Amino acid sequence: MPAGSIQEGLSQAKEIIGKYPREQRFLLAALQDIQKEYNYLPREALALVQEHFAVPLSRLYSMATFYKALALKPKGKFVIKVCDGTACHIRGSTLLVEELQRLLKIGPGETTPDGKFSMETVNCLGSCAIAPVMVINDQYYGRVTTAAVGKILEDLEAKE
Amino acid sequence: MKITIDGQKYEAQYGEYILDVARRNNIFIPTLCHLEALPGQGNCRLCIVEVLEGKRRRVVVSCSYPVKGEIEVLTNSERIRKMRKNIVRLLAAAAPDSDFMKELQKEYGLQGEERFQVTRGEDCILCGLCVRACEELGIYAISTVNRGITKKVSTPFTEPSEVCIGCGACAYVCPTGSIKVKEEGGKREIWGKTFALLPCPSCGKYFITREELEYVQAKTGLAPEKILCEKCRQEQAGRKMGDVFKDIAMK
Repeated sequence: MPAGSIQEGLSQAKEIIGKYPREQRFLLAALQDIQKEYNYLPREALALVQEHFAVPLSRLYSMATFYKALALKPKGKFVIKVCDGTACHIRGSTLLVEELQRLLKIGPGETTPDGKFSMETVNCLGSCAIAPVMVINDQYYGRVTTAAVGKILEDLEAKE
Repeated sequence: MKITIDGQKYEAQYGEYILDVARRNNIFIPTLCHLEALPGQGNCRLCIVEVLEGKRRRVVVSCSYPVKGEIEVLTNSERIRKMRKNIVRLLAAAAPDSDFMKELQKEYGLQGEERFQVTRGEDCILCGLCVRACEELGIYAISTVNRGITKKVSTPFTEPSEVCIGCGACAYVCPTGSIKVKEEGGKREIWGKTFALLPCPSCGKYFITREELEYVQAKTGLAPEKILCEKCRQEQAGRKMGDVFKDIAMK
């Protein structure tokens, strides 16, 4: 989402929120949908949510910082999730994180300045048979080696 | 029904919390996050006691364990003292400069011991009383943010809150004195927001923020000149009481 079009962008948030009844139990679902649309929760959208569901901003902020699936800063175009569950961990997922850190110059939970990549570690993706696992957006990469990491990133850059 | 606490029998209502029964009978159980006005936090775990029920023996949190049968309670058994000692260790590591924790450390012989990594400068044990108090007032200015080891209490976006009325209830209920309120020159600063204070209509001491005054007015329907500082309010209540007794004496 280019920066200048926040007003225009908000119409999508309005539409998303409008789909939900004004009941607090739909709060998280609405936030998830906004996160999906924008890749983060824009502050202006939070204000809309606050109004629609009649919840205090402090509670929204609490939720947004509690759930890993929600973010207050824009996530990258490609979100790289490195599994650090037990199986992946002993098969060297920390090496993958280090390699990504070396190549992208960002740590877990951070986004590259150009907004292309975000890296995060997750606990278990349930694919221990192909450990160590990496998931980029919705694609799984199994039995990843440090040597393969650079290639994967290159392919993604090329895809753009 | 009767329950036994440390060998003595006491009367208890069904569903009453053990801590309340103990407090009523002057039995001391240490607590940190318990406040009569905001009960049921159950976060600090200091108030653990041992409950013996038939053949079962277990450790429960007395501030939120309801009495449901004729149980026996031990508030200071060896097992409890041992467990509580560890809890004190952990809490003291989170709030090393709090007077209350220092006293507890002394009581459990833990002075100078550094068993866990100590976090200085915050003194917050994340009991949540401040957030509860703010919510209970209907202000909702602060909440817990993040989770795990980065969890803390803060205003949204760590910015001065739009809705905060500067009443200081959060600081008042904080058991470890972790929330800082600065008050000088007729100004109060809390959570990064500065409020101008208004003087007490009776003694002229600065004591309330405009926002808080408006809140109290809306809640009580009192005229602004009737809203006094704590000291004047107590004096007024005393005088009223005196008048009542004078009337009785005259009759």
